[in-house]
Amino acid sequence: MLAFLGLLTLLLSLFFTIFQFFSSRKNNLKLISISVKGLLISSLLSFFILIYLHIISDFSVINVFQNSHTTKPLFYKVSGVWGNHEGSMLLWMLVLTIFNYFIFKLYNKNNFLFISKSLEVQSLITMGFLIFTIFTSNPFKTIIPAPSDGLGFNPILQDPALAIHPPLLYIGYVGFSAAFSMSIAALTLGVDKKINWHTYMKPFVLTAWTFLTIGIALGSLWAYYELGWGGWWFWDPVENASFMPWLLGTALLHSLIIVEKRKSLQEWVLLLAILSFLLSVVGTFLVRSGILTSVHTFALDPSRGIYILAFTALLGGYSLILFGIKSKAYSSNTYFSFFSKEGAILINNVLMFVVCSVVFLGTIYPLLIEVFTNNKISVGEPYFNSTVIPILLPAILVMGVGPILSWGKESKLKTIKKLFPSICLTVIMTIIVFSIHGSYSPMGIIGITLAFWIISNNLVILYKRKFLYSMGMIVAHLGVGLLILGITGSSVWQIEKISKMKISDEIKISNYKIKFDKIDEIKGPNYLALRGNFTIYDRKKNIISRLNPENRYYPITNNFTSEASIHTNLFRDLYIVLGEGDLKKGWVVKIYYNPLVMWIWLGALTIFIGGIISININLKKIK
Amino acid sequence: MKKHISKLPSIIFLIISLVFLYLLIIERNPSEIPSALLNKNIPSFVTESLLKNEKFSSKNEFGKEVVIVNFFATWCKPCRDEHIYFNRLLNEKKIKIIGVNYKDDSLKTTKWLKSLGNPYSNVAIDKKGKIAIDWGVYGIPETFVVNSKGVIKYRHVGPINEKIYKEISLILNKIK
Repeated sequence: MLAFLGLLTLLLSLFFTIFQFFSSRKNNLKLISISVKGLLISSLLSFFILIYLHIISDFSVINVFQNSHTTKPLFYKVSGVWGNHEGSMLLWMLVLTIFNYFIFKLYNKNNFLFISKSLEVQSLITMGFLIFTIFTSNPFKTIIPAPSDGLGFNPILQDPALAIHPPLLYIGYVGFSAAFSMSIAALTLGVDKKINWHTYMKPFVLTAWTFLTIGIALGSLWAYYELGWGGWWFWDPVENASFMPWLLGTALLHSLIIVEKRKSLQEWVLLLAILSFLLSVVGTFLVRSGILTSVHTFALDPSRGIYILAFTALLGGYSLILFGIKSKAYSSNTYFSFFSKEGAILINNVLMFVVCSVVFLGTIYPLLIEVFTNNKISVGEPYFNSTVIPILLPAILVMGVGPILSWGKESKLKTIKKLFPSICLTVIMTIIVFSIHGSYSPMGIIGITLAFWIISNNLVILYKRKFLYSMGMIVAHLGVGLLILGITGSSVWQIEKISKMKISDEIKISNYKIKFDKIDEIKGPNYLALRGNFTIYDRKKNIISRLNPENRYYPITNNFTSEASIHTNLFRDLYIVLGEGDLKKGWVVKIYYNPLVMWIWLGALTIFIGGIISININLKKIK
Repeated sequence: MKKHISKLPSIIFLIISLVFLYLLIIERNPSEIPSALLNKNIPSFVTESLLKNEKFSSKNEFGKEVVIVNFFATWCKPCRDEHIYFNRLLNEKKIKIIGVNYKDDSLKTTKWLKSLGNPYSNVAIDKKGKIAIDWGVYGIPETFVVNSKGVIKYRHVGPINEKIYKEISLILNKIK
């Protein structure tokens, strides 16, 4: 009954979307208002009906039956709603309609045509996803008779970080849809309408980018402690699918500033806005069509693949052809000085775009090879590390300088003078770190120096003047500095030890001694587990911590998972994973010493805070 | 010049879409890994036999007729699921099937075969997984079809299901 109501709300959403499309074509504000609000309410309803069905464990609904179980904790019953394909489409729809509503809220006398056109495009996007959801991924399908219990939920996904990872990520992906719609609107209406489209676009891009950042970071955090591989980034196709819009989003965000200050680069920004959203949709396509395999792949269904591809092709074909025809109106020939803020942003823009292309090529290269030669290959870490890192290094170098430079032309001498304090600060900080740490490697020195380069530049800005406007930028850039610190530490100085350990065996890693005390059998709420007890001593034989990695067995889904146990501080992580084994022969134990990992998460959080500050500032500018 | 650049994105996009479309239309399994040993002689091995009181030697078992080789273990649940298909293969196709018992307990395996039925004419014991490494086994269960000259003609990673059963039947008809 309730499931039927759920389907009805979906159909109602479809009705309102079509309604919105026609009323925004007619520029009828009253009708637009009804349809936008109606759409928001109906999509909220369908989302909450599905959540309710999961909470009460109504197994007559296939979606609940396949992904839930009565023994599942309530928190994961709710987060399980978007842990599967159909439910996540509902979440995607909800976020889309919320953004739709916020675009509607921008209406004023001067931008009437522009917002109407944006809402028209937005309704087309919504329509595409709604039809997809209703006809190929209906979450409200029922079975008769209802099974007595569900099939359970993949235990590896039962995790707090992963519960909020998808909503944040979707805010990111879907936020770019607003930029896309506005870009199309600007292209269709042309320059003569004199709309400040970039001021409207910027808060959406900022929101999308900020949430995409924290969403990716949370996914990465989850992979770090849940998968037990000792690392936090694996260049998995789906990770790349979220990284690519992030890279273009970064470029888009920064070029918007140039448009704002200099009125140039408009053509380029319009293209970036289109591409950022297209890449988000292509990412969805890759994950859900099953043409690539990865840890994220949802249940495969070729008809879904065909549909999303057709939709992406329509969206991409329409927008890019429109761009090809109409973008000339926005083109301008301005030349930037190398030593200027806009020069620095432009260089970074190009580098971000190149990195994105390189990642894109690496991700789809196996597919291209398969089509043209019938061979199967996989592209992994060595490719990405050796191509992406060298391009990112100069980008980071420029990023440190950018905020310090002024708009327009500046003399080289003056630039160097301005940079002098931060150069000194960087050198001092780097020397201090390496005199304490005492381990040198070229990559380590480069990474740490660059991190301090970013940090000291921003500290200098912070010290010199207090202009409120770029506070968000300073915080976010500081976050990037911290992030680079963490990335460098954990990838250059990681120590990995894999050995077979029996009870009361000891092992040395860096300055620590780790003792395997005993192993227990324990029973969790919906799993059984073997738990290892390890004690960590430092050089002076003081106890630092006790770690308890687990090997869990979930009988309902017949899954095994390994829970890494981690001791964290600001300088390093000690990370233990319990492998296979028995009492006689001992257990395979993987121990990682991961320096500075904490700074990756702190860095991402700082970037997020910086983003939030910027969103606030930019929203005030619109009002 | 500039006119053409602004059309470039749509052209690149079109090409990529076509590649994706092609990949969707052709029937392909993205998790399928082609074997490097395809159309090559089987890696030879000598080991203990689970069923007979003599050594299991690949020289005696292969090269006379078409043989299906199945890597399995009692601790592997999908192996249990696919087991009925080997009984069917034996009954319907009268084919020789050899099992390779991967990292397993021999006593448990004997019991397992007693309760599920034994389609294998002989079972090689691969206690340390060395044979599996030589054969390039990716993960069990895994099944190979070897022709009468001892050349590997087919490999499937994962459990056999109705579709794979038909595929194997086709291949058997072809090479017999």
